Amino acid sequence: MIETVDAGVAAERTSVLLIDDDARIRQALGLALDDEGFTVEAAASGEQALTMLRDNDVDVVLLDLTLPGVDGLVVCRTLRARSDLPIIIVSARSDSGDIIEGLEAGADDYVTKPLDAGELAARIRALLRRRRPAVGEAGRRFVLGDVEVVPDEGVVRKAGVEIHLTRTEFRLLVELLSAGGRVVTREALLQHVWGYDYLGDTRLLDVHVRRLRRKVETDPDEPCLVLTVRGAGYKVARG
Amino acid sequence: MTVRPRPWRGAWAKLTLRRRVAVAFALVSMVVTGLLAAATWNLASNYLVAQREQSATRQASVNVLLVEEALRSGTTESLDDLLTGLAGGPDTTIALRRAGTWTTSGRQVDLAALPTQLRHLAKQGVPVRQRTVSAGIPVLVVALPVYEDGAVYLEMFPLSELDRTLRFLSAVLLAGVAVSAVLGFTLGSWAGRRALRPLGELTDAAARVAAGDLAARLPQVDDAELGPLVETFNDTADALQRRVQRDVQFAGNVSHELRSPLTTMINAVAVLRRRSADMPSAASQAVALLDADVHRFRRMVIDLLEISRADREIDERDLERCDVQEVVAHSVAERESCPPAEVVGVPPLVLADRRRLDRVVCNLLDNAGNHGGGVTRVAVIGRDQWVRLEVDDGGPGVPPAQREQIFERFTRGDLAGSRGEDTGTGLGLALVAQHVARHHGRVWVEDRPGGGARFVVELPGIGS
Repeated sequence: MIETVDAGVAAERTSVLLIDDDARIRQALGLALDDEGFTVEAAASGEQALTMLRDNDVDVVLLDLTLPGVDGLVVCRTLRARSDLPIIIVSARSDSGDIIEGLEAGADDYVTKPLDAGELAARIRALLRRRRPAVGEAGRRFVLGDVEVVPDEGVVRKAGVEIHLTRTEFRLLVELLSAGGRVVTREALLQHVWGYDYLGDTRLLDVHVRRLRRKVETDPDEPCLVLTVRGAGYKVARG
Repeated sequence: MTVRPRPWRGAWAKLTLRRRVAVAFALVSMVVTGLLAAATWNLASNYLVAQREQSATRQASVNVLLVEEALRSGTTESLDDLLTGLAGGPDTTIALRRAGTWTTSGRQVDLAALPTQLRHLAKQGVPVRQRTVSAGIPVLVVALPVYEDGAVYLEMFPLSELDRTLRFLSAVLLAGVAVSAVLGFTLGSWAGRRALRPLGELTDAAARVAAGDLAARLPQVDDAELGPLVETFNDTADALQRRVQRDVQFAGNVSHELRSPLTTMINAVAVLRRRSADMPSAASQAVALLDADVHRFRRMVIDLLEISRADREIDERDLERCDVQEVVAHSVAERESCPPAEVVGVPPLVLADRRRLDRVVCNLLDNAGNHGGGVTRVAVIGRDQWVRLEVDDGGPGVPPAQREQIFERFTRGDLAGSRGEDTGTGLGLALVAQHVARHHGRVWVEDRPGGGARFVVELPGIGS
């Protein structure tokens, strides 16, 4: 377990739960993330992590997929079922299939090893920013078909019933709504939602759009609210 | 086959196998039909000549009887009439020798021009028959003794008709031999091509394997002779492919195993680097060195993982419509010393994995920066449903002998062995080649007009 450098500011620091079966990675990444200003807790297995999360509150989970015992994907699904706790998968697997599977399991982001704490810190900060409403959204309310979005409250209702979006799905929807029916390019979405400067993983975007549709569309296979514009990006239906 | 004299052998060996088969077919066919023709000629001509001789002899014998009859009856006029009558056709000559003088009728010829021996025997009263040429036409001379003492009957039958027939026959036979030779050659050519077609396929497949298409195989055949060859070739190709895949897999596995320790190293070094200001100078220098090389190591591992992934087909889920112009513009904008990209024509969109496309562009720009003295020009050209990317540099260019080699792994051209500040991982151009190939495109290097190298990538556009 990593001790915080300064107990006085610990309360303001973002707390991160690092789940990785490799003790050396836990230590090195823990030290480096601590340097980046995070309070790091570590777990060596999915079971241990789930137990720890019952008692402690953390801001972000960094999850390795290759874990002894309960598989990383199962841990991810379990956590997602419980709450919209931000999850970043940190994995050595980089095949499209693995990435899509990880994102479908509910992760907000997917990064591959080897990576340094600086990049990870940027990802975490971008993820946490998604909770806050962007400038110009204060007091606004969006209506899209039978879906109503109130960014200030972080509330989404479909046909009057509140539906639950993760903060990434929420941010994505608000980004699209803010454009008011204009096409938002994939690059712009990756940049605004995930903080990737240019070449984010477009699979990240596609899977999240799919997840979002499952929640807001009446028929996710025939989307009529969040529309794909081939070769360009996505947009919301006008009016 | 018997040993031939050397020059022959040389000329023979110079022919292609197919041509040799054709020539052999032609020769065999010519010899066989030649023999048949010769036999036919012999039989036919002997038969015809014998027939003609028999009929001539028979006719002459009958004529002699008539002449004898006339002589016996004693009138000279009737004899003359008879002789004229017997002569019949214009080419026939009839001569009767009585008391040392010749009386002729029909075609007038100089009897003195007849072979001496013939005349001699005829004078002696010996029945003679001989073929000869008289006054320009072939004739059959038949001389028979007449009962009257010392008288000789001589008849010259024209053989022009027979001669024409035999000429015609010989012409037909010769033409037959020639045609059979030509047919033999054609048949040999066709058979050769047919028989050698599998060889052509083998050559093509071997060339494809040599060019890097390890999946090239020969179609299975039922032929008992070709079957084993096809099987051996395919087995060899299988073994080669497995071997190459194992090597790639191995590199991939090793790189994969390096991910974890590398993550530890990168982050541990980052912690050290952050504190290097507080370290003694030697220690902070050591940390700086470690930091630089750990990062290079990281790039190499990432490239190795990428290249071992690139050996497989691109996941369809990674493909999207990309604007090459936009990808290039972004990469160019990220680099300080890079001129803005020129755009020529209307480059079509391409169906590509954007990340890989970006790697191609970045690696070419980095290569020009690291080895080519900097990028002097970048152009995106739209041409007939193809997008062409040109990256020019101001370096010494790439010698023709190395133009293929530089796209192989860990080839560093003239810089081989040198490890300067930032010479890349040695995998950059190999990755470019693999990515471009996986996108069904082409990449090559040529001379830039005015010196330096020009790297060219062509990718197929999406039909709009």
